[in-house]
Amino acid sequence: MASVTALRERGSVEVQDVSHVYAGPGGEVPALAGISLAVAPGRFVVVVGPSGCGKSSLLMMMAGLRRPMAGTVLCDGRPILDPDPDRVGVVFQDASLFPWLTAADNVEFPLAIRRLPREERRRRAAEMLRLVGLEGFDGRYPHELSGGMKQRVSIARGLVQDPPVLLMDEPFAALDEQTRMTMGQELLRIWSQTKKTVVFVTHSLTEAVYLADEVLVMSPRPGRIIDRIEVALARPRTYEMMASDAFGRLRDRIWRQIRSAA
Amino acid sequence: MSRIGLVLARSAVVAAFLAAWEVLPRIGAVNARLLPPLSTTAAMLVDILGRPATTGDLLTTIGEILVAFALAVPVGAAIGMLVAENDYAGRVLKPLFFFVLSIPKSIFLPLMILALGIGFWQKVAFGIFSTIFILIMGATAAVESVRADHLLVARACGAGRLQTVARVYVPSMLPVLLETLRIAMIFNFTGVILAEMYASRTGIGHLIANWGEDFMMPQLYASVLLVALLAIACNETIRWLETRLSAWRA
Repeated sequence: MASVTALRERGSVEVQDVSHVYAGPGGEVPALAGISLAVAPGRFVVVVGPSGCGKSSLLMMMAGLRRPMAGTVLCDGRPILDPDPDRVGVVFQDASLFPWLTAADNVEFPLAIRRLPREERRRRAAEMLRLVGLEGFDGRYPHELSGGMKQRVSIARGLVQDPPVLLMDEPFAALDEQTRMTMGQELLRIWSQTKKTVVFVTHSLTEAVYLADEVLVMSPRPGRIIDRIEVALARPRTYEMMASDAFGRLRDRIWRQIRSAA
Repeated sequence: MSRIGLVLARSAVVAAFLAAWEVLPRIGAVNARLLPPLSTTAAMLVDILGRPATTGDLLTTIGEILVAFALAVPVGAAIGMLVAENDYAGRVLKPLFFFVLSIPKSIFLPLMILALGIGFWQKVAFGIFSTIFILIMGATAAVESVRADHLLVARACGAGRLQTVARVYVPSMLPVLLETLRIAMIFNFTGVILAEMYASRTGIGHLIANWGEDFMMPQLYASVLLVALLAIACNETIRWLETRLSAWRA
């Protein structure tokens, strides 16, 4: 783990002993139990775990969209208590674009909330659309875009305020496998160009190994981190690596951890 | 099929209907005393629109409809949103609103006459009564059409309460709200005219009822035509707004 001073840098994320309990219909449901993790600036960390293990909840807490009952979430060494788009951008599972706004207006949305001048909004949205490979699609409405394109717009929206940290909640789960592969490659390209810290939640083991510097494996509810795996595969990652022994061993290790905890 | 083809076919249906209206009474296929030809009806329409008494009745009816709508819409929308936003109120009241919505409002007319007389405000009251439950249900549905993930995006962007309302709630709700307004207007229109036909001294509904009882068929058909055109114009105006404001939809 990196030293504490290193984590004070811009773009660090630190979760300290976070626990959470939900009020369910049959009483209290423990969701997260004593989660601690640290992500150094610029790292790509993937959280995997079975459905309902609380990995999405954990991400919502990192985004300041939900407060943990116990523990602290730090970003740039300062606590995240409420959403702070200057520090953290979020990409949601279903793209969650506003259907009444064009692609450009969707990307501009966070800037419009911040009341930035229209010209600057236009310029930055165009820049982001170019970054995600959607140049020339500014005027399209979401219903005119494919699933992959929508998720590209969503990534552009997450990055438009230039936050040091990008949180992604199963962003490619609803895509078909081919699109999912392409989007994985595209995300790695965008990540290497922007040098963001990425925390990415998924339940796909292949996706986890393919994307990550480090994989955190969570147990079923109540979610705990049961394994941390360094992915020492070279970058840039290629499709061929997926067939390699090293890739297979990493994926097997994650699978064994998840299965043994179930 | 092309758009022009559709418009042509639709116009052909209307033209055939109007032609039958003109020709059938003239050749004696239907009794001209029961169905005066279109030309006679149209001439009568021009005639009655020239009479100050009739235009006065028409204005009274339009006034009742507009006042009823202006009162019902904000009250109904406010109640609907309250019901949608407050979980407890929603669970208590929503089934009850559904019950009341299913009751034909006309059975309350005698009651309302006893309570309110047969003047302008009784028509307004009955118009509101005919409309408000549709508005409540529509406003509730509109709030419920706001997607939770959209609200989450707004929060993640640091949007305040007002910004969330203006940039997420309003555009999300607009299609359902306009649709509701349009349907509510149909019921409002029906309610006011019905109240006038049932018991009144003024209004176009009152004229229609009288002309029908007195077997004055050209006048009756002319007024039916007039009310029909008015209602269609009303409906199409809101529909035009709907399409204009939801160009983003597929």
